[in-house]
Amino acid sequence: MMSQQSGRLPTKCPSCGAALTVKRMACPDCHTEVEGGFALPILAGLDSDEQDFILKFVGASGSLKEMARLLGVSYPTVRNRLDEVIARLKRAEEKRDGTGG
Amino acid sequence: MAQVDNGLTQGANRHRARLADLLFRPFVYVAGLQSLLIGLAAIALAGLLGYLSNSHFDGVLDFHTGRPAALHLFLLEGLVDWLALSVVLLVAGKLVSRTAFRAVDLLGTQAMARWPTVLIAAAALAPQYQRLLAGVVAQLGGPAGQVAIRPADIAVGGLALLLMLLCVVWMVALMYQAYSLCCNVRGAKGAGSFVLALLAAEAISKVALIRLLTR
Repeated sequence: MMSQQSGRLPTKCPSCGAALTVKRMACPDCHTEVEGGFALPILAGLDSDEQDFILKFVGASGSLKEMARLLGVSYPTVRNRLDEVIARLKRAEEKRDGTGG
Repeated sequence: MAQVDNGLTQGANRHRARLADLLFRPFVYVAGLQSLLIGLAAIALAGLLGYLSNSHFDGVLDFHTGRPAALHLFLLEGLVDWLALSVVLLVAGKLVSRTAFRAVDLLGTQAMARWPTVLIAAAALAPQYQRLLAGVVAQLGGPAGQVAIRPADIAVGGLALLLMLLCVVWMVALMYQAYSLCCNVRGAKGAGSFVLALLAAEAISKVALIRLLTR
């Protein structure tokens, strides 16, 4: 029952498409389980490549120039990608706060 | 064996995709100062080849062959064309873009987008193209006198003209991609603002070059 999952974290209900919440969490060491209703962090709602981009961006101290060097693309390409991620995060925040459309 | 074949096919596909990117979407990889240096070198080379073939880039989208002039005028034409469009696109970008963009990216990529002018000016060096043009001018009552047009002149000169036309289309596509990427504007807003900027820059460059050349 208790196994480390490496699959993609589902964030939407496969039946109705609504955002999923965490109902149960477990400690893999002592098998303690916690039940409740926990919202997924906004970052978890991003695609894996968007999460990877954010990790790299933080690793590069927020330097777009360094990101461009790391990814082998131009500065505006990285900046546009960042704009996309920011827009996704804003939409997710609005949705969470109930202010979005 | 099938795995080796798959690997080779995937490698070839990646190579083709990379080549297509470099030809049609180079600014995904190159922008800023690097593109500015490449672009200025291309503008200078196109000016030099234009000088050798008497071919003028007398407007952002214009190309005319025939009138000899000093080398510095050919170089100046390329610079005026580039600056006219870059400055107008900078203003357009400030008006329509929601993101903060760097002027050096727009200036650099617009300079680099003019690199097909090197091919245009090089194609104009073809003796067949020059003879075809001289023949047409002579038939229209120009100062060239009687020039015999040979079938090879029509074939090779016609091909050169076709290449030039394709290069102009390619250059405009590169200009749009550079603007779209640097200012992060796409769709109707991006295309509409680009077309308006291109028309304005064409008019500005024409007026500036007429004033410059008639001094």
